[in-house]
Amino acid sequence: MTAIWWAISEGDTAALAVGAPAALAAALISLALHPDPLPVVRPLGLLRFAGFFLVHSVRGGIDVALRALKPSMPIDPRIITYDLRLPGNTARVVFTNTLSLLPGTLSAKLGRDTLEVHVLDCAGEVTAEIARVEDRVADLFGVRLAPHAGGAC
Amino acid sequence: MMSTLDTLTAGIEYALYAAGAFFFLAGSVGLVRFPDVYTRLHALTKADNLGLGLVCLGLAVRAGSPVVALKLLLIWLLVLGAGATACYLVAEAARAAEVAPWTRGERR
Repeated sequence: MTAIWWAISEGDTAALAVGAPAALAAALISLALHPDPLPVVRPLGLLRFAGFFLVHSVRGGIDVALRALKPSMPIDPRIITYDLRLPGNTARVVFTNTLSLLPGTLSAKLGRDTLEVHVLDCAGEVTAEIARVEDRVADLFGVRLAPHAGGAC
Repeated sequence: MMSTLDTLTAGIEYALYAAGAFFFLAGSVGLVRFPDVYTRLHALTKADNLGLGLVCLGLAVRAGSPVVALKLLLIWLLVLGAGATACYLVAEAARAAEVAPWTRGERR
């Protein structure tokens, strides 16, 4: 939190007099309000996740831009139900939001152990792609997942 | 007097802005052309993710300071988080209201 404040104030150390106590208070309050224990993010997992996210953000942006601009507008959307393997609410929320930012998938509803995903184009290995994102989020939190059973789009 | 390096940096900067603007534009085109609420959300989240990322990268090149670059990275990540969350809430509300997703073959 303090590091974030430091970045926001553009490295102005004088601003830390206000920022540091505020950051500490914000961190403590959010920890107190958070219902279950926060999972620990692994640095190496974070690095791999960041690389994966950047590459796929570019792919996702280009993919949807082309579909929107092509006169034929090639889309074949559907809602599929994906069986979650990730344990824990925090990891699942990270996965849900990540999926919405990546190519062709949009999280629509997080259920008890399933996630409804709106798929922009059903052609291709959509379920396997979603499982790959889930693997990356698992790696971020140092969790190992069994291979996904897969499923038709 | 601008040096060659300055000219090069400015060139990279404006190329990044232009690329960012292109993806914002494409996202807006998708918002107009796509047939239903779900597909429109696709256009907004993906294209704006990349568009804002490119604009922030251009601004970071302009600033030429690591702290400001870090701040821009933070802005990008916060907007991504807010965007993805808002998008999820809209999609979930649409599901709850039983808005049927558009399928191929239907008229737009």
